[in-house]
Amino acid sequence: MYALETNRLTKYYGKNRGIVDVNLAIRDGEIFGFIGPNGVGKTTTIRLLLGLLKPTSGQARVFNRNVPTGGGKLYRRVGYVPSEVQYYPEMTGRDVLEYARGFYTAGDDQWVEELIDRLRIDPDKKIRAYSHGNRKKIGIIQALLHKPRLLIFDEPGSGLDPLIRQELFKILEEMNRKGASIFFSTHVLEEVERICHRVAMIKDGSIIHEGPVDRLPGREMRVVTLKFAGRDASATALSNLGVAEKLPSMPGYYRVISRLPANQLVGQLARFDLEYLKITDPSLEEIFFNLYEPSSGGGSNPDA
Amino acid sequence: MPNGNIIITEISLNQRSLLIWAAVLILVILIYLGSFGFMEEIDFVEMIEGFPEPLVSGLGMSPEMFGDVNQYHGGLVMLYGLLLASIYAMMLAGGMISREVDLGTVEFIYTRPVTRTAIVISKALSFVVLITILWIAAYLVSVAIGIFWVAPGVFDPNAQFTAHLAGYLASLAAGGIAFALAPLFDRIQGTTSLAIALGFAFFILNGLAQMYGQLEFFNYLSIHYYADMAGAAAGEPFVAGMAVLPAVFIAGVVVSAILLNRREFPA
Repeated sequence: MYALETNRLTKYYGKNRGIVDVNLAIRDGEIFGFIGPNGVGKTTTIRLLLGLLKPTSGQARVFNRNVPTGGGKLYRRVGYVPSEVQYYPEMTGRDVLEYARGFYTAGDDQWVEELIDRLRIDPDKKIRAYSHGNRKKIGIIQALLHKPRLLIFDEPGSGLDPLIRQELFKILEEMNRKGASIFFSTHVLEEVERICHRVAMIKDGSIIHEGPVDRLPGREMRVVTLKFAGRDASATALSNLGVAEKLPSMPGYYRVISRLPANQLVGQLARFDLEYLKITDPSLEEIFFNLYEPSSGGGSNPDA
Repeated sequence: MPNGNIIITEISLNQRSLLIWAAVLILVILIYLGSFGFMEEIDFVEMIEGFPEPLVSGLGMSPEMFGDVNQYHGGLVMLYGLLLASIYAMMLAGGMISREVDLGTVEFIYTRPVTRTAIVISKALSFVVLITILWIAAYLVSVAIGIFWVAPGVFDPNAQFTAHLAGYLASLAAGGIAFALAPLFDRIQGTTSLAIALGFAFFILNGLAQMYGQLEFFNYLSIHYYADMAGAAAGEPFVAGMAVLPAVFIAGVVVSAILLNRREFPA
């Protein structure tokens, strides 16, 4: 059974493209990451899944039922956290949670208190007094309080500090072990690698890759930041590493996007006399730019 | 089909505005109705007889009003009472719908296991509760002032009940119109402006229809005509008109549900 599926789901806003022919199938009990840079159609897809938008063509199904436009009982087993969480400013966090709780029969006070405790939020403050991060915490708790079978998150980690983000992912993993399916959009690769079983990449409104996380295109890419101890290496030597550029804000520093296998990369770097070296994972934007932009290719001349 | 959770929350969210508007309405009743004796003393009838007749009619006045507390209250005081109540009713109803888009809470409310139709009906029911409280307060204050202070033994609570009932139904109708139009607005400011504009439009259309016979058809566009609070206070309620008002409210709620069910909420 699929917790969520789309069949050639398409949405146009007038003549503007939202998403085109998006096919997704999230199995029951799966954690699925939906990744892509900002503005490529992630939120549009989620809003179509929630019935907040109507598809131009195609279908969206949740628990094997077509998504209705006007909401309804289908969402009894669904929890949703938007990217930007907004509530009634005159309410307290606890008021919002009680309001949300009133829509469901599942869930219990003990679970709500546990979530409040684990996400470290004071629920008795007015919504207007909360920071973006604290509003997000209330948003997460209201989405989880009825122990949903399907969780839909739009950028779950945004606005949360690293410790709380860690705790959130622990909670999600626990819920997944109890059978919950999780679909979340993000532009942070680390979040996907941490908990997802499968991912889909979306670009310009279309799915360009779908599969297990370990087969994510660009995973082999590394971002190398370096500074030579003595004279700079030749442009050719640098371009053997990958796409290189000078960092305008840091004179003498180079940044190279490399797709070399790890041992080759280390071997190449060992030939240089380096004062500074940092190797990091690429951001999603860097992967997209280097894999999918028309101008992308192999090495480049940093002095060009 | 209505959702008790939404009804209770909407009442709670709007109780402060109810208190403010009820206080203003009560103050208007207190000042106007309390001035009845003063109007008699300064021989207001002679004064307005000097005014052009269309102007007097347009302001909802007649010389008889100033000799009869029931007509004075039902026909004049509550004319302004209804102006206030209808503006509040439209602000309240419009705000209940447009607030969700304005605050960005559509993602909270419209992703719950409740249909949009049920959400509109629940909001409409909480609106009815709030407006009922407003008019009960207005009626009780009017009766208290009329019976115990201004005109003991003359002030007729039964005729005033009918007049207030007509005003109450007109407020519901005003709210229904706002419910119908609110899905077209994304800002509370928009529905507030609409409420003030329509509230005065109803009042002015009614006034113009009274002033000039040729403009009588304007009456049909105003909730004041259907309420006819002056007639109700005089013991001659416009029953057919009063029956139209709840129908307008129900039609407005239905239109609101239809529009909301068709509406999309992009990010």
